[in-house]
Amino acid sequence: MQAFFHRLLALDRRWIFLLVLISVTTPILVPIGLPVTTTSSTRNAFEYVEALKPGDLVWLSFDYGPSSAPENDPMAEAFLRQCFTKKVRVIITALYPLGGLGLANQAVAKVAAEFPEAKYGVDYINLGYKDGAAAVMRSLGQDITSAFPTDVNGRPVSEFPIMEGLRTIRQVQLVFTAATGLIGEYWITQVHAQFGTDVIIGPTAVSAPKYYAFINAGQLIGMLGGMKGAAEYEKLLAAKHEPLGKFYRSTADFTATKGMDGQTVLHGVILALIVMGNLAFFLTRGKKAGAA
Amino acid sequence: MDLTGFGTWLAAFLTLAAFSFLYKDNPFFRFAESLFAGVSLGYYVGNVLNQTLVPNLFTPLTQDFGGNWDLLVPGLLGLMLYMRGVPRIGWISRYALGIYVAYYIGVDFTRRIHGEVLPQIARTIMPLNSFSAATLVSLIFIVGVYSVLIYFFFSKEQNAVTRPIARLGTWFLMISFGAAFGFTVMGRVALLIGRLNFLILDWIYPTIGR
Repeated sequence: MQAFFHRLLALDRRWIFLLVLISVTTPILVPIGLPVTTTSSTRNAFEYVEALKPGDLVWLSFDYGPSSAPENDPMAEAFLRQCFTKKVRVIITALYPLGGLGLANQAVAKVAAEFPEAKYGVDYINLGYKDGAAAVMRSLGQDITSAFPTDVNGRPVSEFPIMEGLRTIRQVQLVFTAATGLIGEYWITQVHAQFGTDVIIGPTAVSAPKYYAFINAGQLIGMLGGMKGAAEYEKLLAAKHEPLGKFYRSTADFTATKGMDGQTVLHGVILALIVMGNLAFFLTRGKKAGAA
Repeated sequence: MDLTGFGTWLAAFLTLAAFSFLYKDNPFFRFAESLFAGVSLGYYVGNVLNQTLVPNLFTPLTQDFGGNWDLLVPGLLGLMLYMRGVPRIGWISRYALGIYVAYYIGVDFTRRIHGEVLPQIARTIMPLNSFSAATLVSLIFIVGVYSVLIYFFFSKEQNAVTRPIARLGTWFLMISFGAAFGFTVMGRVALLIGRLNFLILDWIYPTIGR
């Protein structure tokens, strides 16, 4: 046994990389469909959007790049599907410099194709990317068109019915930010604090812990923490709206729910490795001390 | 092969090149790393030019100069930043940088105080005149905040009273670091899942006709 633990401690870490690869790849090749439990922060976010009425106006900001797309894409797409299903109007922006706009364009095109009745400029509009997130948000509280004079294609926003009578972000019911880094925080500490607009955040898992403080302080409606949060949202959406339930059960595309299989398997493997590593360390340490 | 197919193969190659670092450092990884840095910069410049400078500066100035002449000021400040490239007149860029920094201090100061410090302090100061589950949570919260603050108070040497409180603070810190680490692992695994999903669902399966 001692020899086994000594060999374990001297194991080349590349074997662990291989184990991680196998643990994540297997559930992709053979989906397991493990259950996903929901948390109150995701349920609060979902219920808030469910309570919106047709014609209400929300703001969806793509504040992340390709480096966190597997976490943020599913939540942004799920939110957009919910809005289109409920006929809530959506204004889309991207404030993350490295790839936020490309991901926004991709997600909007994908979800809009699933809802052909949603009309561009009437039910939703893509205002594109703007540099300087904090300064842009400051402008949104004064005059939206000063920050976004045109849509993503360069057409003046005054041409679109969705922008009629819309002057500031105070008139928007909700901001949903799928975010990495600091930009998500700006929506809470600047837009919510100064203009009163409610905020739901979909941060990456790395950023999620800090947002619990904002939830506790009542500054956030809810949060979708990383891929797990996105999977929870998909589950709530699928249970509430049958067409979306059918979609999430049948789609060949990547969804957070599918990704959670790999998460769960790999977390089990990591826990086992931590236990084995600690066992090996403590058992062999005693022997070494005794030998010395 | 169409352009999308070529893009998928290229992305698959670059993904594998990045992963190859896990075995050991190699020229493929170095190539992918350098390409990523270069493309990111090019993308950022193009994005800012087309999505910010053209609609917010160039178009308003060319279409209605009289109504938008004030945009020359931020435009000029932006140009002044590049003066540091010419050592003889590099000092000019400091003025633009000073205004830039001052603007963001103004925006950020209000944001921090009004959006973060005051609401968080208000949440910490909870009434304790009745006992419920929420009161218990608030009590733990207060003990956590103050013990951690005492741990980070370095202006006076710790004594018999403050030392055990500071030790309690380290426990609160360890619990919060543990939670943060758990979330970090989940985030990094999500990125790996995303890449492997791409390799299997978007590259391998279509290539083998599945």
